[in-house]
Parts: sequence; C-alpha cells; structure tokens
Amino acid sequence: MSVLVIAEQRDGKLNRATWETIAAAQQAGGPLRVAVIGAAVEAVAGELAAAECERVIAVEDQALGEYTADGFVLALSALIEQEQPALVFLPHTYQTRDFAPALAARLGRPLITDVTGVKKDGDRLVCVRPMFQGKLNADVAAGGPPPHLVTCQIGAFRADSAARGAAAAPVVKAAVAVDVSRIRQKPEAPFKEAKQAVDLSQASRIVAVGRGIKAQENLKVAEQLAQALGAELAASRPICDAGWLPMDRQIGSSGQTVAPKLYVALGISGAIQHLVGMKGSRTIVAINKDADAPIFEVADYGIVGDLFEVIPAIVAELNRS
Amino acid sequence: MPQQAERETLDVDVLIVGGGPAGMSAALRLAQLQKQHGGEPLSIAVLEKAREVGAHMLSGAVLDPRALRDLVPDFQQRGAPLGATVREDHVYFLTRSGKFEFPITPPPLDNHGNFVISLNRFVKWLGGLAEAEGIDIFTGFSAAEVLYDGNRVAGVRTGDRGIGRHGEVKSTFEPGVDIRARVTILTDGVRGNLTKAVVRRLGLDAGRSPQQYALGIKELWELPKGRVAEGTVIHTMGYPLRMEEFGGAFIYGLPDGLVSVGFVIGLDYRDPMFDPHVTFQHFKRHPMVASLLRDGQMVRYGAKALPEGGWYTVPRVFADGLLIAGDAGGFVNSMRLKGIHLAMRTGMLAAESAFEAVRAGDVSAASLQSYERRIAGSDVKTELYPVRNVHQSFNHGLLAGLAYSGFSLVSGGWWVREPMLSHAGFERVQKIAEYYRDGRPDPDATVNPAKIDRQLTFDRLTNVHYAGTRHAEDQPSHLIVHDTDICRTRCREEYGNPCIRFCPANVYEMVDAGDGTRKLQINASNCVHCKTCDIMDPYQIIDWVPPEGGGGPQYEGM
Repeated sequence: MSVLVIAEQRDGKLNRATWETIAAAQQAGGPLRVAVIGAAVEAVAGELAAAECERVIAVEDQALGEYTADGFVLALSALIEQEQPALVFLPHTYQTRDFAPALAARLGRPLITDVTGVKKDGDRLVCVRPMFQGKLNADVAAGGPPPHLVTCQIGAFRADSAARGAAAAPVVKAAVAVDVSRIRQKPEAPFKEAKQAVDLSQASRIVAVGRGIKAQENLKVAEQLAQALGAELAASRPICDAGWLPMDRQIGSSGQTVAPKLYVALGISGAIQHLVGMKGSRTIVAINKDADAPIFEVADYGIVGDLFEVIPAIVAELNRS
Repeated sequence: MPQQAERETLDVDVLIVGGGPAGMSAALRLAQLQKQHGGEPLSIAVLEKAREVGAHMLSGAVLDPRALRDLVPDFQQRGAPLGATVREDHVYFLTRSGKFEFPITPPPLDNHGNFVISLNRFVKWLGGLAEAEGIDIFTGFSAAEVLYDGNRVAGVRTGDRGIGRHGEVKSTFEPGVDIRARVTILTDGVRGNLTKAVVRRLGLDAGRSPQQYALGIKELWELPKGRVAEGTVIHTMGYPLRMEEFGGAFIYGLPDGLVSVGFVIGLDYRDPMFDPHVTFQHFKRHPMVASLLRDGQMVRYGAKALPEGGWYTVPRVFADGLLIAGDAGGFVNSMRLKGIHLAMRTGMLAAESAFEAVRAGDVSAASLQSYERRIAGSDVKTELYPVRNVHQSFNHGLLAGLAYSGFSLVSGGWWVREPMLSHAGFERVQKIAEYYRDGRPDPDATVNPAKIDRQLTFDRLTNVHYAGTRHAEDQPSHLIVHDTDICRTRCREEYGNPCIRFCPANVYEMVDAGDGTRKLQINASNCVHCKTCDIMDPYQIIDWVPPEGGGGPQYEGM
C-alpha cells in the first residue's frame, strides 16, 4: 500500500503537524512519498527529505503561492493521478478541512477525517476516529478503489516518532499544471484576530504578579526574576485590567489556566478566581506582605515579606549560581 | 452604530421580554388560550438574556402555589420541582447574641401550604412546558432598547454582539435584531432596563409613589443531614440591623441537606457607610446561625434587588402595544415576602389581555387597559391593596413599621394620608458629614467589619466566584457611570463612594489613581445583574444596561 503524505507549509515554513502525519503514514506501512506544494518549496522539501521515505515531491507553481481551495484541489488531484498512491494522508489542519472534502469529491474517493490512530487489518487500513465529541471511538475502513484519503488529528501522533532516513531522500519536482482561470477564489491577506496570544499553558515556569506590584514601572522587578528563572511573565486580573500587561497574560477564571512546574506568585493575594487558574502548578512559591493572604493556603513555599526586598535578593542569588 | 451589516427584523404577534416566572407564565397562558380558541395561531417569542432558561433566576424562595394551580392544574404530575412542603414556620427577633421567638407566627408569614423552592429550577421547568407548547424562547439575547412607532411600543431591539471594550467593531460583530410585535409584554424584572426607559418616556409613573427597593443576598449551603429539616422556614428580624434599617434574614430548608440562607435589606438606609454584604456576614456569625451552618459548605451565591413598595408604586402597566408584568411592574407583597405567585398571576393576566387585543385587531392602550381591570378583579389586588402602606411605614423605623403592620391587619391598610408619604430610597441616604458628626470614617475601610474566615464568612470576591458569573471580557462596560469625576471628587467627600459597599459583587472599586487620589474602577464582568447600583446610587448617574447576551450569573439551584 503506497502512501502519499501531503505536507503543509506557509511562506516556506513547514507546519509541524506534517511530521505527525508522516509518523501516522509510516505506521500504515508501504512505500512512502511526501509531497509539498506551493510557489517556492525547495527549502521545505529539503527539510522533509530527512524523513524515511522514497522521495519528496515538490509541486511548484506561482498560482499555488497563496492558498486557494480550487488551486490546491487542481494541483493535488493531478498529482494523485500521476502518483497513483493507495492512501493519501493529510494533517487535519484548518486548511486541509477547507479543501480535502472537495479533493475527495473530485477524485470520487472516500475521505476519513480526524483520525487518531491507524492499524492494519490484513490488506485493509483501519482508522480510529472519535465520535460523539470524543465519547466513542469508531474503527473505520474505507471501501472501493484506491486512493483513500485520511486526515490525522493534530496531536494524535507524535512528530518525534517519525522515522528519519539514513540519508536524505531524493527531492523531485513534479510537473503539474495549474490552470489559473479555474481558480475562482481571490484570497485576501490572512486574517488575524489579534496579535499572537502567548500560550502560557506551554510554559514550564511562570512568574505572576498581582496588585502588590503597585505600579507599572515596578514590573521590571518581576521581569528580572522571570529572566533569571527563564520564566514567562503572567499576572492576576487587576494588572491586566489596568493595562500593565496584555490580557493574554492573565491567569485565572477569566484568563488562562496553567500548570507549570514552577509558579511564583508576587504580591498576589490569591482570590479564588486566580487560584482556579494555577492551583495545578507543581510547585507554588508565594511572596506577599500579608501573612493571611489565601495564596499561602496553596503555596508550597511562602515568603511573608516585601517583594521589593525579597526579589532582588533572589535574583542576585540566581545570577550568582 | 456600525453600518456594514444589515439589521434583521422579525415580526411576531406577542413578544415577551424576560423569561422569568412572569414571562414564562405569560407564554404558557398564551399557548393555552390559543389551544382553547383555535384559529390562526399567534406567533409568540420570549427573549431571555441568560445563556439558558432560569440561569439568572434567584429568590428565597417560598412559593404560594395559587397561581401555579390555575396555570398548570396538574403541576404535581408534570413534575414541578417544588422542593419541600413547608412544615414549620419560625420568626425570631435577634439581639447581638440572643434570640426571641415570636410566640405566634404573624399571619402574613404563615407559610402553611406553601413550598420551599429553587426559583431557578422552577423557571427552567416552566420554560420547558412553554417550549413543549411550541413557544420560541430565545436565550442569550438581551433586549437593548424599546422600538416605538410614535408613542406606540412596537417591539424591542436586541443587543449588538461583537463590540469591543472601547466600542470598536470586532470581526465577530453581529448587529442586534429588531423584533417587532403587536403587543410587547415587558417582564424584565426588578428595575428592568426597558421598563425603566418606557416608564420614563411615557410617564407611566405619574401620580404613583416612588418604588421602594430592597437587596437580597443569598447563599446556598450544604449542611449535615438533619441540621435544618426540609420544609423549615425561619425568618429573623433585628440584629445585625439597627432600628433605622429595614430588613431581615431567611433560612429555608430544602431537600438533601440543602439550605437557603439569605438577607434582605431595604435600600433606604440612612448610613452612607452601611454595607449589606458585611451585614450578611455578621448575621452568619450570630450564634444561632453559626451553629446551624457549622461544618457546612457554601456552594452557591447570588444577589438580586426586589421591589417592595407595593400597590401605590405600581406604574400604569399598559400603553399602546405594551403590557408590564411581574417584578418589572412591582408586583411583590413585601409583608408576605413573596412575589413569584404575583409575577405568575400578572403574567397570565397580561397574556389574556394581549391575546384578546391581538385577536380583536386592536392593541391600543384603550384595548389593553383590560389588563388593569383584570388585575383589579384578581387576587393581586385583594392581596396587595390591604398592605399598600406597610412598607412605607417602615420608612419611620422598625418600631413604627411593626406597629403599623399590626394596625393594618385590622384597619384594612387604611392610613390618614393615602398614599402614605414616602421617598425613593437613594434620597434617604445621608451625607457622611450629617451622619457621622463625631468624626469622618475612612471611606475605604469598613466601619463595622466582620471577620472573614472563608468557612462561614466570605469576602465579596470569593462570594462572586460562587455566582458563576461570566461575561465576554472584550466588550464595553454595561455599567455606565455618566460622570466618573463625581466619584473621585464629590461622592468620595459626600458619601464615601457607597457603590463599593452596596454592590454585592465587587463590581465597583476605588483604586489608586497614581497621583495620591483614588479613581473608580468598574469590574463589569463580576456583575450578577442585581440592579442595586442603578437603584441606590445617590447621584443617580449609574445606568445598568444589558451586557452582550448570554453574560451574567449562572445560578443553579438558587
């Protein structure tokens, strides 16, 4: 069963979900090829050549520089005709969700979406996909002539388990003509709701400040500690309400929920609205002037004191070691 | 108002604004009338700002089932969530550490035959019945303004969605919908934002006494089994209130060890430093209450204002295309501490008049006046008229109030001057300089603080967490303070910023302005929609307007 993985890239940057898809495709077995399409994809193709696969196919066309569903369906259906794979694997990204149904319809082939696991049943590939909002898992196998299309749920397969080849795989260019007149969409500049939010849930250490910091210019005290610890800076609600830090750094019931290895709470009293956002942290260190502050009820280490005296001392000690 | 999106309109025959006991009863009654009379079915819609039916409902609550019996005669078989049948009534007068039980329960507080309920569950159930009858209930939609054709009420406009904190249009923007109706029934609750606007515009309160409000603060507790038997109803007067303050507490036993504990405080106190939330904490620390709540757990919190002025404060409840029912109209019997049955009854009567008017093709005020006649001929009047001066008599202190209450039971509510003179509560609050002649208290400190242990007593912020309140953060404040300079200058000096005390949800805070002074900070997303600030602000410069639909408390079992 030959497998074709369709990589996803934007502006020459590979979407890391591609590696997860490659890992899934390798589990499906059979000779593997990886295709990447766009206007200039040489660098990405080179990157993908590290995967254990037969070859990497670079599909380049100016008309594919900006994503359009029509352009991608035209290019990929032509490519699949040429390559004749038994299976086509795609990452279940927003972009894939946009064009994959049209691609499957164009080819007249089945599409199994949002797959979280694959297993072989003799000659057949059985895909596992969640149903009823994840309450049930269904085993799904496609019927009819190949190719069958499969999209892989993000995070379901491990990117680092994708096998790398002993030597780089050859990169070949595919000649696929895209008829521009058949592209009906005109993309506008990609829409961004706001500037990229900080994903505090990924941080392993967080230094969070509360009202006890008193003034915006005092934030640099906390920043120094964050820097010394290699931590992200976060805050309780009043700090973000005051505009001293952006709202995407707010921890708590109306902000983000985090569980880092280390959470240092500076001048945070520990209102329950804040605690629900951080009480899962592995080690909580609290520094507060008020010995009765509820933050000490969840803290593993507490320092009752003036944070403007305590933090510089900690920072000095950290920088010494 | 952003122009790029076309505003949709929806036409209905009867629009009910507010899915509480009045609104749901109106909807259900309309469905029944339709069934009864046949013919071309009326289109009926209910607007509710909560995410789900009942989520903004909060009351004590003891339900007098008489309106329910008429509306849903087989309510028992249909699974009405009636909690517990009232088994015993107690009324206590509390002193700082002692208690005196009233030897006989005063007749208005006799709850024999009534039920201890969760209003939130009850309204959810009523809403289910209405939906089963094919009524459209639009939850998560707030009504932002009344639509008029001239002076005829023509429906409402729902709130826009997707407006940012500073009024900017976000990518998620959706303009509000114009819902045009032949008859609009406003059941938007105590100090309803639409009722307030329409009463003002059409002068519906001409010749009526000012409404008298109270604030109810409530916690739901899980107690060890048997501590408070289900069906137990306890009311208290006295401590921690002083003679000059009107109010009292309630403790109602629900099934499964759940107990409603709450405090109702007249929003006509004189002391500008008075703090209702702290008063509630003092109440819980009273030995009688503390011993009941020991080893228990507070599981829910909420607050809501209530209209207690009674008969003479009810505005004209009809106009061209308009009817007003329930708390929005002030239909509460403050002597019996009950309003749910009156909300239901007025909702049903409004439905009857609306149905008749739409069928007759005449929705003018003259036609809808039949609603007023229906009320006059119903148990609403027989219940409210005899106690028409009772709440006002408490304006003269607890003793005068109690004396008059007793007198009214034999006099049929008569008084030498009808109606008894009264003032709006916010006008009765005195300035710090008048009230505290011996020295000015610190406006940022509590005059009479209660110890907060987070077991029995809680600070406001912790309590708010248990109201489950949520609002989309990136939206304009729905609490509009028309002049925040007054807060930092005049109000701070004259009244010591009473908003930070009367708000039970920590919405208002005076924070360091960085120049040695303090400035107002509005934590709008804490709001539990109780309306107290709109009512009680001494300068009347706070307007409560609905936030983006779906925002607000998430009451469960309240």
